Amino acid sequence: MKPPPFAYERPQDIEHVLALLAEHGDEAKVLAGGQSLVPVLNLRLSYPAILLDVGDISELRDARFGGGAQLGATVTHSAIEDDTVPDPSRGLLPHVAHGIGYRAIRNRGTVGGSLVHADPSAEWPVVMSALGAEVVVRSQRAERSIPVRDLYRGHFTTTIEPDELVIRVDVPSVGPRMRWGFHKQARKVGEFAESLAVALLSHDAEGEVDGLDLWLGAAADVPVRVEGLADILRSESHATRDRAIQAHVAGVLPGAQTPEERYLRHLHGIAACRAIGQALGQETP
Amino acid sequence: MKHESTITLKVNGRPTTVTIPVRTSLADLLRDHLDLTGTHLGCEHGVCGACTVLVDEEPVRSCITLAASCEDRSVTTIEGLDDELTEIVREAFSAKHGLQCGFCTPAMLVAARDIVQRVPDANEQEIRDELAGNICRCTGYVGIVQAVAAAQERSRERQCMEVTE
Repeated sequence: MKPPPFAYERPQDIEHVLALLAEHGDEAKVLAGGQSLVPVLNLRLSYPAILLDVGDISELRDARFGGGAQLGATVTHSAIEDDTVPDPSRGLLPHVAHGIGYRAIRNRGTVGGSLVHADPSAEWPVVMSALGAEVVVRSQRAERSIPVRDLYRGHFTTTIEPDELVIRVDVPSVGPRMRWGFHKQARKVGEFAESLAVALLSHDAEGEVDGLDLWLGAAADVPVRVEGLADILRSESHATRDRAIQAHVAGVLPGAQTPEERYLRHLHGIAACRAIGQALGQETP
Repeated sequence: MKHESTITLKVNGRPTTVTIPVRTSLADLLRDHLDLTGTHLGCEHGVCGACTVLVDEEPVRSCITLAASCEDRSVTTIEGLDDELTEIVREAFSAKHGLQCGFCTPAMLVAARDIVQRVPDANEQEIRDELAGNICRCTGYVGIVQAVAAAQERSRERQCMEVTE
């Protein structure tokens, strides 16, 4: 299918983008890697008047370490996968990036684009929520920081204003006593997830679990945080742990009516178990 | 507002200037404007892989890349892939029956060449995972996976020979 007609600009700097966004508002769409936007256009699900191609703006592709990682909005998934940008997560970010779509997609798709597209089945919204990352957005009016946990209003909907441009994602460093686990459930490698779980486990000096943060993607229209699992880990034995995790996750998610909904809710429990299991098995530095 | 654009890019080594509607995909630029029909269209939303070409040496989906985004870039299609690694991959596909109808094949060759180059030590499962983005309706993938493995081995042999020469 071919996209509907649109106008196209290729600003060479951020100020020009902001001026165009101020002028066109929600009639404009920013084009970064295009791996979500162009399929939307090819399927004629959206009719923007003008595309602003930010591919030439090097400031948006910069990445640096500064108390955590500062990843420019147009840093690609393959740059993260290949570990060519600072990794504050002790391997979680490259591991997650490797599972996104296919290499050809990852060569163009960007972390900023993924966060803004707000697909609940995508990796970055839930992983960046779990890591406590923030997006820095700028308009002609002001620059502000939005915690990714506060970014999502619903399916494909964020709290970013039409005249704002995502400049970068600031990802805090994972602490030395944190271990991570990540599980993506999909029928085929690279497809959008039926279930995604990110587990961040912290332990005290004696090696006892003292905190477990679990986030689920593809389970609702926004990333879902599941609390109360640290207690389960402390109180359940190895044999009963997975059952208890699954029951707890099922309790947190909205009611399942149809067989398909029950199956998907079951998958979320499995994904949680596998992510937690991976975190428990991970070596600490 | 601009709905048409004149762009210059390199295609298979040749500087090329075209004037096109801005909504033209790279795939349609290659196929309709430059008669390079080796690149195929299957789904036009990035999931089948039949449109895969190289932009600045990296595989991309030409169906979801705007031609205008490729200004000043270097695009290589199947028609322009003629280096030694490509020959190794082609021979392996031939020897291992890695194609039947040939529709997926140009993009499979681009993907296979990228795998041999980027993850030379990939095992069978890893090769399968890396190929997940290229759909084939004919072969059942067995011959394709074997072709990639054979190309890896041949490529290693060639590198050893080069060192000893």
